[in-house]
Amino acid sequence: MKRRTFLKSMAATGIAASMTGAGVLTREAEAAKKIDIGEIKDLKIDVLTETSWFNNDLFKKDIMDYGGAMTNQYIIPWKWDNAGGYSVLMTVTTLEGKKRKFLLDTGWNNEWMDYIYEMNNIPAMLKSGEIEFMVLSHWHLDHFWGIESTLKHKADIPFYAPKTYYPEDMALLKEKAHHMAKDKNTGEMMHICKNDVPHTGKLVLCDPKGEKGEGIYRMMPGVAIRNFDVPILLRVRGENVLYFNVKDKGIVTVTGCCHPGVLSLFSYARKNFKGYKPYGCYGGLHISLFETWDPKFDDIIKGVKAFKIQKLGCNHCTGWIWAEKAAAQGIPVVKGTDKYKTYKKYSTVAKTSNVFLTNGDTVTF
Amino acid sequence: MATDSTENRFNYFFGVINLAGVFCIVWVLWYILMNPNTVMKLYTPMYGFSLIVVFLSGLILLTKVLDYNSWFENQSKNKNVILRGLLWTFISFLLMGVINYLVFWGFIGKFGIAYFSPDSIVAGGGIGAEPFAARENASTAILYYFTAFLWIALFWDLGFGRWPWHNDGAGTRAWSKFFVVFFFTTLFYIFLFHSHICYLFYPAQSKAGVAPWWEALASTGSAFFSLGLVLCILAWIIFSDLLWEGQPWKKFEINGEGTFGKGFATFIATLTLGIILLFIFLQIFDSVWDEAFVGGQYTDGPDWRYIHAGEISGFFVLAAFILKNYFNNFPNLNRLWLRALIRTLLAIAIGMLLYWFYYSPLATFFLAKVEGFAQPGDTPLVWTLLFLSIIIIQNEFFNGWPLKKIKPGVEDNG
Repeated sequence: MKRRTFLKSMAATGIAASMTGAGVLTREAEAAKKIDIGEIKDLKIDVLTETSWFNNDLFKKDIMDYGGAMTNQYIIPWKWDNAGGYSVLMTVTTLEGKKRKFLLDTGWNNEWMDYIYEMNNIPAMLKSGEIEFMVLSHWHLDHFWGIESTLKHKADIPFYAPKTYYPEDMALLKEKAHHMAKDKNTGEMMHICKNDVPHTGKLVLCDPKGEKGEGIYRMMPGVAIRNFDVPILLRVRGENVLYFNVKDKGIVTVTGCCHPGVLSLFSYARKNFKGYKPYGCYGGLHISLFETWDPKFDDIIKGVKAFKIQKLGCNHCTGWIWAEKAAAQGIPVVKGTDKYKTYKKYSTVAKTSNVFLTNGDTVTF
Repeated sequence: MATDSTENRFNYFFGVINLAGVFCIVWVLWYILMNPNTVMKLYTPMYGFSLIVVFLSGLILLTKVLDYNSWFENQSKNKNVILRGLLWTFISFLLMGVINYLVFWGFIGKFGIAYFSPDSIVAGGGIGAEPFAARENASTAILYYFTAFLWIALFWDLGFGRWPWHNDGAGTRAWSKFFVVFFFTTLFYIFLFHSHICYLFYPAQSKAGVAPWWEALASTGSAFFSLGLVLCILAWIIFSDLLWEGQPWKKFEINGEGTFGKGFATFIATLTLGIILLFIFLQIFDSVWDEAFVGGQYTDGPDWRYIHAGEISGFFVLAAFILKNYFNNFPNLNRLWLRALIRTLLAIAIGMLLYWFYYSPLATFFLAKVEGFAQPGDTPLVWTLLFLSIIIIQNEFFNGWPLKKIKPGVEDNG
């Protein structure tokens, strides 16, 4: 028996036997044949809002006061004034030259999201059907709890979300839920999120097997969703990631938080997509969420260089300090503008280096 | 820790009952101390992780370094086993508090190395120096220090035993061992972990510590590399101590006492076996999750592969303790090599069962864990070490009470 075969058999009977759900066999089957996801001409990203919260310390305190990173997001009476949201408008130019739009995520605080949507003419685009569908990256509060702001303009919008939801998530999407959490100091039940407009449209729950067992969901030629079933902070599980194949340039990933890791996304594309060529990424990259450091973050800078990513647009949970250090070490970080300062609120960690693409910025791949 | 394998001190049925009881105690403790949705919520994760490592280290300090039994033999034997157990459990708890809060946070961190104290980190200011991150960083440093301690203390007990103080009194032996173990612990901590802590800050504390020297070798600057390696070494130390009855290192003994040669051979051999075990784990992981790469996260991260190797070693260690303490080190055949081999295989099998438990939906129910691998901020080591601590408390301080029966005339050294 060859060494690798022996190790594989050990893995199959030992470690792998304990894996849950989408395990080794599925993964091997997926990798057996490279798939062609098609091509697009270009991709324009409008950063509607990336400020999920405005003050890191307050957000972190809420988490720590109620059990830390592993706690359930629905038991925390979040400070409402600190809540913002994450949402992106994507405009794909097809090879035929047609513009097609869709949303990634729907933010958190409805008041903030209404303000952001109005500023960017999103309600009209939703009502007219110009925005064709919405992809939910994951079920975190700052990406999903603002769902009412979208549904009140188009309750039947096709909705692609990770299959790994909890009952509270589905109640918010479909059952007019008003969720409350108890303030541990006062005992008072506090409003944390609500949705009075149930979703009535097509709901696609994504898993790693993908549509037709391909590992991906094809949205249009050159655009695909891939679901990574990874455990995430605040009891959430699974993230949908968007892949774009831009003609003559290569693969671009767009993420909400990129919990699986930006290089893991490119690694997946390298193994599974025909004609893989790395090009760019956009999104929260989930590196230094709270502006702290770890030697692993230096590893990611080295890895991004090794993967030859040519255009890196980041914000949200990436960490300003990571983006600054990455830019200083030669990573092609796309700089933002000062437009965010014209908004009624902005993040306390925003810096003049503008290494984040922040609210109001755009980037084209 | 090695015992006479022919003793039959635990009815197997009682062993199962006892193990189930300990599991429930651990469950309740987890619910109170660590569960993120309940009472104390210490699993942040590093704060809870460091406290449990310090607590376990306190147990090892008392039982293996200071050999508390020989100090307090007369007093202990005359005491009611429950009172004795409660007293020593309380002392261990107190010791954890003294070490963590007084020695590290209050003394070393205040007057020497700032990163051991959350207050000193916050006082130093700079990016990310707020109370929560400061406590996590200080806890990381403390848990690394005591990981090195566990290695050195357990290795010393197995390798050198009472040497070179075997002709001295209990007091001399205990304190000499204490200082030597902490001396080498400090050296190995500096060598294997200090760099990581210096690079936990922004900007990196490059004048206090060199950049992680293992980076090119391990494809990561994270000291999870060292942590994984140390835990793989510890698995062999525990296996040879508990399951192989101290063999083959005992062959280097003279008149039943440890020697320099025994200690040296034990150190080199367990280090080598640890490296081999780590290598095997990494090969298996490559086979399951494909090759890790620099900058990869979750299961793709080299750092996670190392700590996961350590986590599996932790399950093996826990399994060895279960086999030894609740199932009389089954099987007790005449041939040492055969019984050692079977016990090792059983420990690996039980370890894999524990692994399955931790990554199954059952852990979601019992431990409030989110299903899946490589959850940032989650490591099975916290649960494993808590379980291990309760086993040690029951067997060392409570003499296996209430279900363990000691044969009349047979000294229980288990």
